[in-house]
Amino acid sequence: MTGDTPILRTVARFAVPLTAWVSIIIFLQGHNLPGGGFIAGVMAAGAGAMYLLAFGVAKASRVPWWKVSVVGLLISVLTGAGALVAGRSYMDHDIWHFYLPVIGEYELPTATFFDLGVYLIVLGTLMTIFVEMAQEEGR
Amino acid sequence: MPQLEILLPGIVFMPFAAGALALWLWRFAGKHTGILMVLAAAGSFLGCLQLATASVPVSFVREWIPGLTVALSLRGDPFGLYFALLISGIGTLVGIYALGYMPPLAPRRLGQFYAALLAFMGAMLGVALSDDLILLFVFWEATSVTSFILIGFWYEQEEARKGAWTALQVTALGGMVMLAGFILVGLTCGTYSLQQLTHSRELQARLAESSAFAPALLLILAGALTKSAQWPFHFWLPRAMVAPTPVSTYLHAATMVKAGIFLLGRMLPLFSAAWLWTGVLVPIGLATFLLGAYQAMTATDLKAILAHSTVSTLGLFTAIYGLASPEQDALGIFAHATYKGALFLIAGIVEHATHTRDIRQLGGLRQRMPMTFAVAVVAALSMAGVYPTLGFHAKEAFYESLLHGPALAGSHWQAAVIALSVAANALIFAAAARFVAGVFLGKPSEHAGHAHEASPILWGPPALLAGLALVMGLLAPTTEQMVNALSSHPGAKLHVALTPAVAGPLLLSMATAGLGILFFWGRGGLDALRQWRPAWLSTEWLWDAAMAGVVTGATAFSSRWQSGSLRWYLSGTLMFTVGLSGVALWHGGLSLRDVAVRFEEMQWYGVALCAMLTASAVMVVRSRTRIGATLALTANGFLTSALFVVYRSPDILLTQILIESVSTIFILLVLYFMPPFRVDGFSVMRKAFHVAVSLAVGLCIFTFIMLSTSPTLRETHNLAADYLTRSLADAGGANAVNVIIVDFRAIDTNAEITVLMVVGLLVYGLLRSRRRSP
Repeated sequence: MTGDTPILRTVARFAVPLTAWVSIIIFLQGHNLPGGGFIAGVMAAGAGAMYLLAFGVAKASRVPWWKVSVVGLLISVLTGAGALVAGRSYMDHDIWHFYLPVIGEYELPTATFFDLGVYLIVLGTLMTIFVEMAQEEGR
Repeated sequence: MPQLEILLPGIVFMPFAAGALALWLWRFAGKHTGILMVLAAAGSFLGCLQLATASVPVSFVREWIPGLTVALSLRGDPFGLYFALLISGIGTLVGIYALGYMPPLAPRRLGQFYAALLAFMGAMLGVALSDDLILLFVFWEATSVTSFILIGFWYEQEEARKGAWTALQVTALGGMVMLAGFILVGLTCGTYSLQQLTHSRELQARLAESSAFAPALLLILAGALTKSAQWPFHFWLPRAMVAPTPVSTYLHAATMVKAGIFLLGRMLPLFSAAWLWTGVLVPIGLATFLLGAYQAMTATDLKAILAHSTVSTLGLFTAIYGLASPEQDALGIFAHATYKGALFLIAGIVEHATHTRDIRQLGGLRQRMPMTFAVAVVAALSMAGVYPTLGFHAKEAFYESLLHGPALAGSHWQAAVIALSVAANALIFAAAARFVAGVFLGKPSEHAGHAHEASPILWGPPALLAGLALVMGLLAPTTEQMVNALSSHPGAKLHVALTPAVAGPLLLSMATAGLGILFFWGRGGLDALRQWRPAWLSTEWLWDAAMAGVVTGATAFSSRWQSGSLRWYLSGTLMFTVGLSGVALWHGGLSLRDVAVRFEEMQWYGVALCAMLTASAVMVVRSRTRIGATLALTANGFLTSALFVVYRSPDILLTQILIESVSTIFILLVLYFMPPFRVDGFSVMRKAFHVAVSLAVGLCIFTFIMLSTSPTLRETHNLAADYLTRSLADAGGANAVNVIIVDFRAIDTNAEITVLMVVGLLVYGLLRSRRRSP
């Protein structure tokens, strides 16, 4: 699967960063508006797939995607285990309240970290499969 | 006494720690790693002695699983300590013996051997000292697993692997069954503590009246009888003789096989009042007693002779507990452990010297190995029950309880039981005579040619055991005091004396000896009897056939069920889902009639979308190429997302669009590798099956969606309202869907993402390895 289509490549140059950016927004707003780690992860993987189709497997496989998913699981499990350290049960989430200089009071549920783990696992797993399948074809 | 309390976990867990140390120490200590075993066992022995001298039984109780009333509780009561002393004492001797016995193997393997031996000792001590039934079970199974490792030590030989496997199958399965019995007892009585169970009349009455009594009794007995190699589970013990001799001595003469007997002693106060207890244990015990003695008489392998006679003696103990006359248990177990341990060690010495264990090829070792000969004679005298050894006292006590004990007095079974016991004891007598005569007397065989006396490190331990058997027999008053204090029966009043007070048991002993001599002379006839029996007439054969059947059945099932066809798997999964949902719907009392259907709300665009959805679905099915089907499927997916636009649910819309896009990319990536798209040539049956599955799934989903708008559902099971109200307040998020995923049901999500990640890694691993090896 070689990326020798100039049209796709030109589009991808804009579309990939845009999709990735939107995926991050969707991830961040997920706790209150439509979105969340899972769907944002799928969207990011969509961006990754586009990148792969436009620029080729060699470039897309520079990131060790399976490690991304492992890191994701680590983040999720550690978030859950954090509650254990605080003496509460596993996966018992909290809401942190901050006072930031410009923005004012800001609330951050610890569930967001768990969601970040979900995001990374979805992205990592899908990209692992995409990249491996695409390399398969090159044989 | 807090210092004493801490000794209990020390005694039990120190051998495990030493075992872990042995796995590492072999690098430096080499063949001296075994000293660790000696030290650990001696340490435990001293600890037990210390506890035994305490005025009251010491307990160690810590919380373990409080929700299930399971506790980490150990208790040093006399019977448990007696057993622990036996385990650690003989462990010390076996450790010393192993130092001289084990061949010069790779140090790593010796390290593993001693690690397993130490872990086994720890597990055995745990069985002896556990007060909690669940804890006892854990240690019980640990002995099964460690003994599996030890029996299979010579794993290069098929016999060893087979012997270890059989032992594990029988004893571990028995242990599982026993756990079920323990749980029944625990659920009925509300506690797993042995101390409470055996001391509370109220709990015992509650158990005896409950319907769980008989099942619990039978299940626990199954555990005890498999562990102690009772008929019909006796066959694993002779097979386990492939183990190195120190292991055979330790596991199969002195300790592990007595765990079942020990458990019977523990359970006696709970169950012995029931006729079922006597009705099961006495026939099985006596049958094993006689059968084992007969097989001991006819076996040709030295260790097999000893193994069968062990099975036989264990049968005797089972019968004794069955008759609820436990006063003699401490004496009997002590007598057996000393002489049988000594004889096993001697069999090891003889094998070491002559390189054979076949009694037909041995003989005349008397002059070449005088020390071993002397020890063997003393041990065999105790086995035969000759005055004044411990074996004699044990046999006298047994006959006494048969003649005057409460269980049989006046019963018309008495004569039969006595006759059987005399016959079995006579066979044991003859087997003991045969052991000494076959190995040490007669003309030296060719194998005896290079034989020479073993080093003291080898004959020392058996000499000590045999010496105990003789000296403790002579010191009758001390022995009497000791066995009464250590019996499982608290107020035991056994009479042990050098001058018998009553004539009955003595007369029976004389009859036993006379009959034994006859059997010894007529041993050729007994051997002929063995030849006559067909092979399939044994539980051993039946067990092997059953195990082979399990393997055949499992293979046939999985090759049929796991056919490798994706359609078949998918059908199975879908049918299961549909069935489960169907049952749930039927059970929930929901009805489609409650749902108000208003077609006018659909509008023209709703109708148009549905028509296009149907058309694309038909195209998926009718398509003759895979790419056509894929495109139709994608069209169907995007049309569905248009539906979500119309009905205003942006969250699901977003998900649907993204999933559709990504899965289309995915399908396109794998399309190239798919096998040819099969559209024709399905049988009518196959087609009918596919149509049926599709219809069932469609109907099920349709019903579900319709019912989700049903007022009954909304009123009764409204989980949604609960989540929606709690979402912002408890979790600080307005998007209830995401809050459910990451907060309310976070542990589910955790499992799901783990599965996802594992799938990714599997794809990675599989494709990579396939590419690397063409």
